[in-house]
Amino acid sequence: MARGENHSALIDDRPDEGIFRIDRSIYNDPDILEAEYRSIFEGGWLFLCHDSIVPNPGDYFSTHMGRQPVFVVRREDGTLAAYLNACGHRGSILVRARSGNARSFSCPYHGFCFDTKGQCVSLPKQETGWPRDFDISRFDLRPIARIDSYRGLVFGSLTPDVPDLREHLGTAIPLIDIFVAPAPQPLEIVTGYSVYVTACNWKVMHENGPDAFHAPIVHNNFAAAVAYRERRSGASGLSKTDTGRLTARIKSANYDLGNGHTAFWHERPSPEAFPIYAQKDVLAQRFTPAELAWILGRGRHVTIFPNLLLNDLASTHLRVYRPLGVERMETIIWCIAPVGEAPEARAARLRKFEDFFLPSGMATPDDVAIAEGAQKASWAHASPWSVLSRGLAFAEEGPDDAARELGFAPRISGNSWDHEIAIRGVYRRWLKMMERGAERANA
Amino acid sequence: MPDLPLLAAVSQFLFREARLLDEQKWPEWLELYSDDAVFWVPATKMAGGYTSDPEYELNFIYIKGRVGIEARIFRLGTNSSMASTPPPRTRHLVTGVMIDEAGADHVRACASWQVVSFSEERGQQIRSGSYEYMLRREHQSFRIARKKILLLEHVIDGYFDVYMV
Repeated sequence: MARGENHSALIDDRPDEGIFRIDRSIYNDPDILEAEYRSIFEGGWLFLCHDSIVPNPGDYFSTHMGRQPVFVVRREDGTLAAYLNACGHRGSILVRARSGNARSFSCPYHGFCFDTKGQCVSLPKQETGWPRDFDISRFDLRPIARIDSYRGLVFGSLTPDVPDLREHLGTAIPLIDIFVAPAPQPLEIVTGYSVYVTACNWKVMHENGPDAFHAPIVHNNFAAAVAYRERRSGASGLSKTDTGRLTARIKSANYDLGNGHTAFWHERPSPEAFPIYAQKDVLAQRFTPAELAWILGRGRHVTIFPNLLLNDLASTHLRVYRPLGVERMETIIWCIAPVGEAPEARAARLRKFEDFFLPSGMATPDDVAIAEGAQKASWAHASPWSVLSRGLAFAEEGPDDAARELGFAPRISGNSWDHEIAIRGVYRRWLKMMERGAERANA
Repeated sequence: MPDLPLLAAVSQFLFREARLLDEQKWPEWLELYSDDAVFWVPATKMAGGYTSDPEYELNFIYIKGRVGIEARIFRLGTNSSMASTPPPRTRHLVTGVMIDEAGADHVRACASWQVVSFSEERGQQIRSGSYEYMLRREHQSFRIARKKILLLEHVIDGYFDVYMV
């Protein structure tokens, strides 16, 4: 067996002995990335986009599933479809813009034309190049195997061999529900987005999300800079930023949700600094006190394996990852907010988002620098193990009290957000998918 | 015919800002900004073009008030920001300065810029774009009331901060 094929040797998972560690060659071995493309990115559900990007017939959004270009489009009948973004003729990129609206898609190379159902509707000079009875449907666009959405989150799969989306999302569903539903209005992507490229393996960034352990260390300077600003400017109310999670001891928890999905939460020392707080009386009509405590009182972070992050910590956002190579990856990030929220709430939400999360913010650049440093250190093969044992001894099987109150059943719960429970869940799922992919390839 | 003395004065002011940034003379650089200065770098829209309503649309950077710019510099001083310790060395090339409007108490000017930055971690990077300034006339010179920076690059390789654009 070639190096990079024996994936179980890369995850040293012995919880009873207090050991969980991963071989850092998983960050730089090209054979592993190749297997990930097949087994994970082409072998299961991936997040594609939020449905507010494509509200009307003809609206499209082009993206990638692993290395394969695809585009999502709202069809004339209102349903969503996604096709390989390759002309059915000679495979030229068909949709070149990130998003827009079109009733038909004309290939820029030879002019073949497709409707929103992916059907080839015309091609140039048909009568002089093909027989009279030629069936042009053989040029139809190739739809992806599965597309489905849950509460505005659109997912797709390049393989038909996947469970229903709800089953895949599983235990994460109640957490998605409180991310999506606190305001009576649906969520929308706020105009504008950011794409950034980081010189690291996609998993380095993926594991940085559920890793709350780094936050008070890496982002201490964020908390200090905000404190400086607020001291000088006398911020109050919504213009205040709650950095208590970075500076104080707070109640928190961390979960392996199963299927590689993760969550953590922390208590919000200043819930009134968040835009949603103004709606607390309205929310109290619609949610139980326990749900309300979750929505208003807890900052929440959820990852859906392998490429989606839902964040309601400093502000609300969606983030999607994809590999660009073994040591290069892309992040697309959007601020997401309730439709029609009060102008001052929208502005506060955006400013907090810009403050922290963008590659031009005061925190994400440090995450990027740390990730790029971790990538460089992955070549220290003489010391190959990345140790993820934090909190092993404190982990409990099944839900804790907070999870029971909201009604979700994580595989494993831990009583601190900075335990590495979530990341262990990611790698257990990673291994499972890699093994399943290898079986499928050998079948 | 442009008002050459004004053009020279504005150009000198913009070049001075560039030089203070490149020499990392942060307090002197901050002095160029008025207390209520706006520092604005719009983000891009998925359908193309830049966002245009900074309050309610996404921006790369939208700081209202010099204190917010100072906070960025304060962050450098903590020496705990891995992205900015040490801050990348930069060279700001400012060219094509034009006066768009000359009022009694203010001047609107624009320019093109290119910034070459270098850090051990990320090597040499080149970014480019345009500046739109609203300058307030003050004591024979100016203060920056508003600086809008458009960035050519919309897929960001790595990261940037106020002093790298």
